[in-house]
Amino acid sequence: MVLIGESIHIISKDVNDAVKERNTKVIQDLAKGQAAAGADYIDLNLGPAKRDPEEVTQWLVNTIQGVIDLPISVDTLNPVAMEAGLKACKKRPLLNSSSGRTDSKERMLPLAKKYNTDVVISVLTDKGCPPGIDSRIESIMETIALANELGIPNEDIWVDPIILPVSADQKQVADAVEFVGMLQDLMPGVKSTVGLSNVSNGTPDELRGILNCTYMTMLGRGGLYSAIADVLDEELVKLNKGELPNIVDLIYKTMDGEVVDLASLSQKERDYVKTTKVLMGETLYSHAWLES
Amino acid sequence: MDYKAPLETYSGKVAEVVIGKGEKALKIGGESVLPFHFFEGKIENRPRLALEVPDAAPANWTEWECRPYKDVLSDPVAWAKKCLDFGADLVCLRLVSTDPAAANAPADKAAAVVKQVASAINTPLIVYGSGDETKDIEVLTKVAEVCAGENLLLGPLAKENYEPISKAALDHGHCIIAQTPLDINLEKELNVKLLKTFPRERIVIDPLSSALGYGMEYSFTIMERTKHIGVMFGDNTMQMPIIADLGSECAKTKQAKESEKQGLLWEGITAISLLLAGANVLILRQPENCKLMREAIDGKI
Repeated sequence: MVLIGESIHIISKDVNDAVKERNTKVIQDLAKGQAAAGADYIDLNLGPAKRDPEEVTQWLVNTIQGVIDLPISVDTLNPVAMEAGLKACKKRPLLNSSSGRTDSKERMLPLAKKYNTDVVISVLTDKGCPPGIDSRIESIMETIALANELGIPNEDIWVDPIILPVSADQKQVADAVEFVGMLQDLMPGVKSTVGLSNVSNGTPDELRGILNCTYMTMLGRGGLYSAIADVLDEELVKLNKGELPNIVDLIYKTMDGEVVDLASLSQKERDYVKTTKVLMGETLYSHAWLES
Repeated sequence: MDYKAPLETYSGKVAEVVIGKGEKALKIGGESVLPFHFFEGKIENRPRLALEVPDAAPANWTEWECRPYKDVLSDPVAWAKKCLDFGADLVCLRLVSTDPAAANAPADKAAAVVKQVASAINTPLIVYGSGDETKDIEVLTKVAEVCAGENLLLGPLAKENYEPISKAALDHGHCIIAQTPLDINLEKELNVKLLKTFPRERIVIDPLSSALGYGMEYSFTIMERTKHIGVMFGDNTMQMPIIADLGSECAKTKQAKESEKQGLLWEGITAISLLLAGANVLILRQPENCKLMREAIDGKI
């Protein structure tokens, strides 16, 4: 699947400081590093971008475009910052994101048409994140219908089911996999994306990687088109490239309910099986899921 | 035509935990069906009812809370015996005097009282520390040592302090209460960690019991899900019996402090709800509710 490098986000202290100081080197190093690691897009997560939204966004986009040749995902909820970012992009950008929220439909979605961009549309509504599969379908179909009316075709739309941390809502994590699997039937031609690292939010740092890698593989099986992810995680990139077929095979077997003889597996393989079962919702999550 | 309702059978079973020793011993848990589902199978051990005894005369109990115990308020041994007169299956001694925010009594003093109470009654004894994670290490390890062989049910053990306390419980022959703050994932994590060194059939889960109107439904959901996951899905890290330490939580509420009748109902409703959720042991404050819950469990109300 297409990988969107997540490292340039305003929550990171280094990035936040670099933006404040207009430190091009820090930003460019992050962009170059992700490009070298195999990113297909670079995400620029500006957050609410309250201070100097236009100027900051333009500076960031130009700083990155100066050194790498990848398309940019402009990631902010601020329509002013978004417009400035989309305008400044030389390659066709990804508008990240619009949603079913009223203000987003009115102010963000039309920008995708205006600047002829791809657009992430998430399932969020004015009430927040819809619980479960059916309510997500309802929300996304409504927003996409509106997008189509505005002249945005399905092929330019990347659906985001909104991934919740497995440590917070285990059931919705399994639901999202099912939801992604249904997308082509519901809205043929539509693409998709997720904020992959969200699934491991709240989990101890050293265990986040295996959660992210396993979940990406599970979602990929359902046809997930892309993921905003930590491309600096070598295992993740390898898995995505097809360089670890036995792991992928194990994950698929576990998803299919095939009985796997854990004793015959390596430690790493066992860990992937256990992680798959947790992400399927078969085993109750705990931070110690690999220890039992 | 006779209709026979389909019966579920489950792959899991709640562990049977034995506390107390010899003739005093009491079995907790052990069921392989969902709470009160008598139609699904036999429930060997009914839910047990404990009445609570603070180890020091309570400073802020209402008049009506004190009334049943008015002659024994400063005598934990006599108080404990009175609880049994009121029909409790066992006693819970709460070491409030050791709370650093209160009298901050030393561990050895508290342990001596525990020993006295344990020796004086013919039922097992539950012992709760003050809940201060640091102080409880000292206190509960001392209690474990001084009461070696009594097979107390000791708690609370939390994520932050379970290692030294569980070791002492293991070394001196006691059972433990694993407590987590209303979070089923943390509950599982603590169990997984404990199971590395501590026997499965000597652990009781305390997911924290909130009072009616103050979060009871969270406690209810967690207890219910714990039973589902342990009994229905056979997850052996979730098969410990559950203790509902609800008496003091209900007593804290505005409603309980304002009115005697309301206080009785508050504890009563919380108790029956958590019984239905799957609590295998209840810790109550009010003797009247001990009687009421007994009648409910016996199917008489």
